[in-house]
Amino acid sequence: MKLIGVDVGGTFTDLIITDSDTQETDIHKVPTTPEDPSIGATEGIAELCARSGIEPGAIDHVFHGTTIATNAVLEHDGARTGMITSEGYRDILHIGRHQRPENYSIMQDIPWQSRPLVRRRYRKTVPERLVPPSGDVLVALDEDAVRQAAREFKAEGVEAIAICFLFSYLEPKHEQRAREIVLEEYPEAFVATSARVAPQFREFERFTTAAMNAFIGPKVRNYVQRFGGRLGDAGLSADLHIMGSNGGVATAQTVAELPVVTLLSGPAAGVLGGAWTAALSGRSRLITFDVGGTSADIGIVIDGQYSEATARDTWIGGYPILVAMIDIGTIGAGGGSIAHVDAGGGFKVGPQSAGARPGPACYGFDGKEPTVTDANLALGRLDAENFLGGSMSLDTDAAEKVIDGLAEKLGIERFEAAEGVLTIMNSNMANAIRAKTVQKGIDPRGFSLVAFGGAGPLHGAEVADMLGIPEVVVPPHPGITSAAGLLTTDLKYDQIKTEFQVKGTVDLDKLNRDFQSLSKELLDQFASDGLTEAEVEQLRFGDLRYVGQGYELRVAIPAGSLDDAALEQVWQAFHEIHEQEYGHFFSDSPIEIVNIRLTGVGAMPKIANPPAPTGESLDAAQAKTATSVFRVDGALQRLETNFYIRAKLPPDTPFDGPAVILQKDTTTVVPPGWSATLDKGANLILTKG
Amino acid sequence: MSGNGSANRSNTRAIDPVTANVIQGALENIAVEMGYKLMRMSYSSIIRESEDFGAAIIDTQGRQLCESKQSTPLQSGPIPGYVKGMHQLFEERGDVLRPGDVIIHNSAYHGASHGPDVAFIVPVFTDKDKLVGYSVTTAHHLDIGALSPGSCGIVDAMDAYAEGLQFKALKAYDQGVKNEALWCILRDNIRASDLVVGDMEAQVAASRIGADRFLELIERYGLPTVEAASDALMDYSERLMRQAIEELPDGSYSAVGHLDGFLDDPARRDYKIAVTVQVSGSDLTVDLSGTADQCNDRPINMPLEGTVDCAIWLTLRSILLDSTVYGSIPQNSGLVRPITIVAPEGCLANPIFPAPTIARFAPGNIVADTLMKALTQAVPKQVGAGVGNLKVVAFSGIKGEQHWVHMEIHEGSYGGRYGKDGMDAVDTLYANTRNNPIEDIESHTPLRVKRYELRDDAAAAGRWRGGIGSIREVEFLEDSFISIEGDGHKFAPWGFDGGSEGNTASLDYMDAAGTKNSLPSMMPSRAVKAGESLALTGTCGGGYGDPMTRPETAVLEDVLDGYISVQTAKEDYGVIVTPGGEIDSAATAQQRSAASK
Repeated sequence: MKLIGVDVGGTFTDLIITDSDTQETDIHKVPTTPEDPSIGATEGIAELCARSGIEPGAIDHVFHGTTIATNAVLEHDGARTGMITSEGYRDILHIGRHQRPENYSIMQDIPWQSRPLVRRRYRKTVPERLVPPSGDVLVALDEDAVRQAAREFKAEGVEAIAICFLFSYLEPKHEQRAREIVLEEYPEAFVATSARVAPQFREFERFTTAAMNAFIGPKVRNYVQRFGGRLGDAGLSADLHIMGSNGGVATAQTVAELPVVTLLSGPAAGVLGGAWTAALSGRSRLITFDVGGTSADIGIVIDGQYSEATARDTWIGGYPILVAMIDIGTIGAGGGSIAHVDAGGGFKVGPQSAGARPGPACYGFDGKEPTVTDANLALGRLDAENFLGGSMSLDTDAAEKVIDGLAEKLGIERFEAAEGVLTIMNSNMANAIRAKTVQKGIDPRGFSLVAFGGAGPLHGAEVADMLGIPEVVVPPHPGITSAAGLLTTDLKYDQIKTEFQVKGTVDLDKLNRDFQSLSKELLDQFASDGLTEAEVEQLRFGDLRYVGQGYELRVAIPAGSLDDAALEQVWQAFHEIHEQEYGHFFSDSPIEIVNIRLTGVGAMPKIANPPAPTGESLDAAQAKTATSVFRVDGALQRLETNFYIRAKLPPDTPFDGPAVILQKDTTTVVPPGWSATLDKGANLILTKG
Repeated sequence: MSGNGSANRSNTRAIDPVTANVIQGALENIAVEMGYKLMRMSYSSIIRESEDFGAAIIDTQGRQLCESKQSTPLQSGPIPGYVKGMHQLFEERGDVLRPGDVIIHNSAYHGASHGPDVAFIVPVFTDKDKLVGYSVTTAHHLDIGALSPGSCGIVDAMDAYAEGLQFKALKAYDQGVKNEALWCILRDNIRASDLVVGDMEAQVAASRIGADRFLELIERYGLPTVEAASDALMDYSERLMRQAIEELPDGSYSAVGHLDGFLDDPARRDYKIAVTVQVSGSDLTVDLSGTADQCNDRPINMPLEGTVDCAIWLTLRSILLDSTVYGSIPQNSGLVRPITIVAPEGCLANPIFPAPTIARFAPGNIVADTLMKALTQAVPKQVGAGVGNLKVVAFSGIKGEQHWVHMEIHEGSYGGRYGKDGMDAVDTLYANTRNNPIEDIESHTPLRVKRYELRDDAAAAGRWRGGIGSIREVEFLEDSFISIEGDGHKFAPWGFDGGSEGNTASLDYMDAAGTKNSLPSMMPSRAVKAGESLALTGTCGGGYGDPMTRPETAVLEDVLDGYISVQTAKEDYGVIVTPGGEIDSAATAQQRSAASK
């Protein structure tokens, strides 16, 4: 099998090719073409094929991580979108949960009011109403009104339409019928129904998810089709698969219908890539730590399983989104983060970033603000002549100048200021990790921190130190870990149904029936991708809570026909998970199954293992020694530091910090008190003590 | 009453700016974790959906070090007052705090915001039994054992005793041992006690987590460093507030606002709120002299500590250090040091025990709104026009022997702001809760929400128009009870700088035959029948600036979006919109020039 992974970032498009027959892997990087990222991606694929001597026609699969949907949301650049909703509820999208994003602000904007996904003029209501508990019809669907709305949308140039009825998660037939009618009148429209996109209760969140799906739908659909066309023109006949936020891939056809599943495509691939690389060294309890120029993404992996975000914690661009996503914590902290002293005299780092242009002062593009990268350079932790494999040289004077400016404002000396920038940045990142671990009952001290991205390996050890994490894993190619992650994923779809069944009165027949119908829908989806039932692994979960609570916790539900004994296991598991998450459980309280979920996984071919390292000796790997600055026992010290070339490091040969390891896509810092070894899995393992 | 004087400093040890920042991040993380866990563990929708709760860490001097970001300002803001009240009561009784204690406290005359907002205070001790601070959560409980079900709309409570149980800093846990008698009293005297006790247990758990984390922080950095950093952070917040006050011209700024009160009772309505802001250098005094006398036998009096102070701090911070403009600033007691609050004893804003206070929610927002009105004279570009006030409805009933209680805050809206239209259909000022999903309400209570939309053609005209209130219609599927506490039926939100006044709220009750009756904004519990329904119409904030100067295109957009009618566009804005949905430029110019004469 020959596989290609293409991860499109803001500046660069990363590519990786692997041949499972020869076990060879090659990587490539090309500039991103923002006007149409599929141009750069296709050119990159052609170049990579040519370089590797592989016929484009021989490629079996292309896996793609894309920000096209995310950017459409963040830049609010989507389709002219309409909505058909139940009469009496025209403004659910506008009122939301009637809460202001900010407590202390008169001048704030509310995203769904100041930049609505569907303007009010395009929100049309039709007589229709379902009621709980089973979705009985209170008011029949007025089909003529739907038809009329569709005609109006067509006349108004609305390209995408979300159909959102109350309680449709209980009974989707009104939404489905409305969709049929709209497509009869307006076949070229992009139509999304809320129960198809997110069949869960909470109307504002579900309607918003459906509206966002419609808003970005035409753009993503066109992009996917264009990309497929370009691949064909370049001689590829491979299937195109797109990375979803849930950690699996979906076919191009599915993504064209449900683009909202790709909103965290890139970060999700990073978590998978981190998990894959650490597994090569036998590590399975991981905190993935992906740090770029402007932000840091944090994921948790336990025994190969990444944690999923709960539905109420998933937001994109200020809008709530109800789709399955890997639980990824993101903060505005990266190499370009700007350090500043604010009006009250407070010392702050980020979230503003100097980005790629002008970038840090040391890039020499006339950046005037002190950044994290400038601080690293001023402390001697970067090699000015050997940045990004020598493809760029850094201006140390410029870095020192901006750091001195900062030091002057703070009334401290240069190294204190530079080291302070790093300490504050590291502390911000450590807090973000605590939010995903300590606050959820997970002790990070039993984990490895997998540090990647351009800036992760610079900060990994010091962040780990703050959290008591004993070990940092730095992958072979930290800068393309996300692209590699694309080649480690499986085909994955999620089904969900709101259930509202309470312990003691559970209708087991209904529960079993509902799981069966979810399973049928799931297998239909896989069948359209060419997979049979035998090729699909099905995993069941429930979202449970104590009756009265408003937040659910995910619990695994056994396979097979459920009986009382199986349910008893589920209740017990819920108590345990509740205690782990919150430090407390209520043994006497009745439990409610709010949603049931079915996840289907269809295996895809995977990336080959990297070659074992072949370096001869530490001496041969040593590039230079220089002075760098670290805090030791509370005081800053200038220490003689070895700089090594990673590609020349010998395996299984430990060396002590302080040390700096140089490679094309990143720099790794081994602080004093830490040691490092390149292991046979080709990972650098940094260890405390 | 005054803020903590800046001279009141026990710890002057210098702290480096890096450590101060690191400790600030850690403190905020603790408060966030407390709030996160409380809202996820709690049972009743008023906490977990509406987010009507607070969480904070308090130091040994009673100063707030941090607060939970998810919480509503009216819950976290009063926490230092709760701790102060607890100390006062302990001193009076000669009681002592010990490790393992958990204190339950809700006395509105000892720092609590009002009776239903119950605090659980965990004193934090080191292993050497040294007291180092307090971890506190507050939450609004569904029922606190008042005369009628629910904990809002108890508007006929004649004194503090009629409002429900009073917990004056009692030990819910005494050195780690549960005070079973107290919990029995709770269970036996509170409706829907399973939910309420479950919520209280969640509060205890969250407060204990905060205590553990604060202790870990102290172990990591050492007490002197944490104290020094706390001092530095409070100084920092104080400095920012002083800088903001200094930018105001010295002088005196006054405004008057009015509160509906009981519109069906001539002796208890139309209450005046008077605010005078005195600015002198970096100090600011808010004087409420001239405010109406307290109401001796109806619960619309506002505790000075816990409600009035929070309303004032919230408003000043939202205007002078608006987080959209200034970014995130540590929310701690330093922010209030430059601010002095004066309210004559016996007025609505500083009542004398046992005057009832349980329904002080809407009055406090009038204090906030009137303060903003006074500040229009000093900082017209940082304020909005009049804000539409809120209303709370308690729905309840009995199933078997069990009560069900559902409380919903019906939102108001903001006035137009300099450069921006008002926010539509949101919680306002010191309240920032969330509504309940219709799909949740109808799945768990015998209610049906028949309509939830913006009001038609009701936005106040202005260069920047006022926000639009909402309409919510609720049908009762079974015989039930309702009670109401709210405001805004009589006094419309004020317009500013040529903008129009906003629109008042209303409340209509439809019997099964469809006959409509108007109800006042304050109404004690009454029975309702299956098939009857209630229609709540929310306030619309005032307009800002002369509507004739609103860009024609913005007026057209509002017409196309159905916010205003073609006729309103013509009459209020002088913009003529054709039947085809375009601007008739010539007719508009004529209309606007005629209007300017």
